[in-house]
Amino acid sequence: MIKTISSPREKKVTGCGECRSTCQSACKTSCTVGNQSCERITREENPEKTNK
Amino acid sequence: MIHVFNYKDTYYIYDTGSGSLHECDKDTADYLKSEYEGGEAPALSEEKKAEILNDIKELKDKGLLFKEEVKTYPLKSSEVKALCLHICHDCNLRCRYCFADEGAYHSEREFMSLETAKKAIDFLIDNSGDRKVLEADFFGGEPLMCLDTIKKVVAYARERGDKAGKKFLFTTTTNALLLDDDAIDFFNREMENVVLSLDGRKEVHDAIRKTKNGKGSFDYVINNIKKFVRSRGDKSYYVRGTFTSKNLDFSDDVIFLAENGFDSISMEPVVTDIDDLAIKDEHLPAICAEYENLCDKYLEKYDKGEGFNFFHFNIDLEGGVCLQKKVSACGAGNEYFSVVPNGDIYPCHQFAGEKDFLMGNVYEGRLNPAIREKFASNCLFTREECGDCFAKFICSGGCSANNYHFTGDMNTPYKATCAMMKKRIECGMHVLAQKKSRKS
Repeated sequence: MIKTISSPREKKVTGCGECRSTCQSACKTSCTVGNQSCERITREENPEKTNK
Repeated sequence: MIHVFNYKDTYYIYDTGSGSLHECDKDTADYLKSEYEGGEAPALSEEKKAEILNDIKELKDKGLLFKEEVKTYPLKSSEVKALCLHICHDCNLRCRYCFADEGAYHSEREFMSLETAKKAIDFLIDNSGDRKVLEADFFGGEPLMCLDTIKKVVAYARERGDKAGKKFLFTTTTNALLLDDDAIDFFNREMENVVLSLDGRKEVHDAIRKTKNGKGSFDYVINNIKKFVRSRGDKSYYVRGTFTSKNLDFSDDVIFLAENGFDSISMEPVVTDIDDLAIKDEHLPAICAEYENLCDKYLEKYDKGEGFNFFHFNIDLEGGVCLQKKVSACGAGNEYFSVVPNGDIYPCHQFAGEKDFLMGNVYEGRLNPAIREKFASNCLFTREECGDCFAKFICSGGCSANNYHFTGDMNTPYKATCAMMKKRIECGMHVLAQKKSRKS
């Protein structure tokens, strides 16, 4: 039995470079790009979010 | 490549090429391990084996298993998008584990002048190209020792940003000792994120985070942080702890923080060479077991409706950053820099004061092209040892500064950090799966 838990959504735009700086996060010593969100997707899903 | 792992009795397959996570039964996990990782082959009936092969084929056909990894190029940008402003190289605490030499960065204790800070903002705006959203982080030492300067810098950046069509996102990292009502109001108005240092239980915090007089600082900061968090509304903050080899039971500290009303928490391994505090190879089994403890406690809280956000368990496999970003690492030394009080520019806060990494000064407005190119070229594919690691597209090859300070080479990963990172990622994937299964 193999059950898919999660797979990436297709991205319309990649490599735009608008992502936030990783080191401004909570860690400052053990940054993980994998727990960042895509800024474009965030904006599309939350149009009211300030970082537009 | 695939990574087959288990969290106690739950088995997972992570496919690095597609970025997909699957849950499977033990027979399937054992079969995949034996076929692809050289494990012992399980005794399976023909029927079971056919079932497994069929499942694998279906997922392969959908591109969700054994998908070929794409070797994309990292983001190449000449734009500067973020600065860490060392507004103050002094601190009102004397924490033994401080990587910044208790705030002084192995130099004289000094504050950044308003003029230098404004020059840094000018440097950021002038070098940001078409980038609309810029980030600046007030860091120290202890930034709240310079709150008046910070207020003026923020006002200046907003004014200049408006004229230049740039939006600023500010962050401050503070020990909360001077976090009074005035600072709280200002932070809530102006800071996109605030990182508050608190190590957890009073005895753990006080053992390291002491005032200049040698007293523990817990009682001074805990109420300030509680007051701030209560006033924060839905704006971002993190209560951030550091664990050392003295508190390898750090899950108790995370839970202590959660039970004190903090719902956004990170807990980081110490970066130090102080012998009695440093994380060493011999501590790794206990640390990995402790991450599992934390994972169990985290899910227990989640089930009780007392869930909280733990930074390292936020693995976004669905809407996360694109592959170009994943291979590019943090951007230090290329699009993100640190500026120290005299205006000197370094690749990031962890390189501050290291002459070999001095990249320029905000008064000159130029960056050393050779150092910048070195950092711009740093990516997952320059870190050869990462090639066969399942975590590579999530950690991006780790922190250049940590790699350099522990191994002497930015592109050689530090094994202890890797071991902790991999365990946190497995726990994060388990959390993701368990939250989904509870929702359904």
